[in-house]
Amino acid sequence: MAVETPTKPTLADKIYDKMFHNYVWKSIFRTGYPNTPRNQMLVVATNVFLHLHPTRIHRTHVKITHTYCLGGLSFFMFLGLTVTGIMLMFYYVPSVDRAYLDIKNIQTNVQFGQLMRNMHRWMAHAMVILVFLHMMRVFYTGAYKPPREFNWVVGVILLVLTFLLSFTGYLLPWDQLAFWAITVGSEIAGSAPILGPKSRFWLLGGLQVGPDALIRFYTLHVIGLPLLAAIFMAVHFWRIRRDGGLARPL
Amino acid sequence: MATAVVARPVARPQARARDEEVLVWPDLVFVEFISAMVFTIALFILAVLVNAPLLDQANADVTPNPSKAPWYLLNLQELLLHMNPAMAGVIIPTIWLGILAAFPYFDRENEGQGVWFGTEGAVKITVVAGAVGIVGTVALILWDSGKLAFFLNEYLGISGGDTFRFLESVRNIQSQLPWPEWSKEITYLPFNLKILDSDARGGPTEFQNLDFPGWLVEQGIPIVAMVGLSSIMIYTLWKMGWVLTRRDALLALFSGFIGAYAILTVTGTAFRGQGQELVWPWELKVSEGIPGQE
Repeated sequence: MAVETPTKPTLADKIYDKMFHNYVWKSIFRTGYPNTPRNQMLVVATNVFLHLHPTRIHRTHVKITHTYCLGGLSFFMFLGLTVTGIMLMFYYVPSVDRAYLDIKNIQTNVQFGQLMRNMHRWMAHAMVILVFLHMMRVFYTGAYKPPREFNWVVGVILLVLTFLLSFTGYLLPWDQLAFWAITVGSEIAGSAPILGPKSRFWLLGGLQVGPDALIRFYTLHVIGLPLLAAIFMAVHFWRIRRDGGLARPL
Repeated sequence: MATAVVARPVARPQARARDEEVLVWPDLVFVEFISAMVFTIALFILAVLVNAPLLDQANADVTPNPSKAPWYLLNLQELLLHMNPAMAGVIIPTIWLGILAAFPYFDRENEGQGVWFGTEGAVKITVVAGAVGIVGTVALILWDSGKLAFFLNEYLGISGGDTFRFLESVRNIQSQLPWPEWSKEITYLPFNLKILDSDARGGPTEFQNLDFPGWLVEQGIPIVAMVGLSSIMIYTLWKMGWVLTRRDALLALFSGFIGAYAILTVTGTAFRGQGQELVWPWELKVSEGIPGQE
């Protein structure tokens, strides 16, 4: 019987070994390259970003037609909007004198400024649509049923927060579109019985859309609402795991 | 004293079927990565091709016609045209969000979860209720804008003459019927109820006498249209034997809402021109509101 002699490691093997089994790599990722089931589970469990996931998942749930990734994509839009939003914040000052000119400046003088603004705007629209479609997906797959009742409620809150995030951002370019859309929108809020005029005043910081409204919308848009949304998202994601992942038939 | 402890059915996470599972890395992470890339690239291309709109600097003295809210609020703006502003803009959306959030507390059965349209008859209920929402909303919008009467007269030659003028739109019921004077200023309401006059412009909220014809077209008929029609739909589906469980009732309600919501959003976005008149999308023009430039 022929005895298998160990083959000499090829150059690729040596490079692989040098890259993934060295001291620095191990200090960062702990596990080796995720090419064995053990390492693949470890990489999910030990990585702060990946550990939102379980290490294993029911095979029907990786089928794209089950979720169309709508919830994940909504979150991805949130991340993308944070990145592009921070870039826009470098150039934008929320004052009535400067806001409009700053947007013009971003579009004409800032390298990739127009692109960043476009990305921010289209991603915002995409997020509103994706969140709504995600709600429809959860409803039609019956995924709000026990034990996920409260996570559906958290989802409804996140839907409202998404609308508010988009609404507050709408004013910031300070052009005619922004100004009159917010005037109309805040009049809708102001029509509420008893509390309406007060809540409209509180939202705008005055009786009409002006400098106080701009700074309020800006503050809510860049810190207040994202923070709130992040907290509710943390609860939302945490509870998905606690409630046993995605819903599946009994 | 021993207190009886009643065991209640508490929902617990399902037991895992380990042999049915796949590894998250690579199976799920791959799908997530691809979908994120597809969206990034698609949005990048969109951002290269289409610029975000930027009009002239904000000017409180120049009102564009029509002035519109952001597109996802145009469903409410459309609703505002047909009824009392407080009801359309705040009360209905608030109540609806409350109903939406309460869905899982109304339908507590585990059946049919985790698969698309997992219960028997779910697809047909969804399709029919969605169609009812779409057709019903279109019909109501056309009726209230007087277009229904216009079409009947223009293309079918049907005219009710002056006798039926009050049926041409919802508000004609107020203006075209010989309401007696007393009905427009009812001072006495049962249980000493008062009517609140809500002022959309942020003015003071005042108590006023009940203008019954006004109340009827601004609140009465819209409430009947929304609550009544959806109830009739669910009741009919129940009588037909389609709606059997609470889940089925919610399917009908939610699908009807999606249909109506879509129509309201599309109408408000693409079919409302100057003065919020109904127009075809290709006739939609926005006047910048600058004098001499229409």
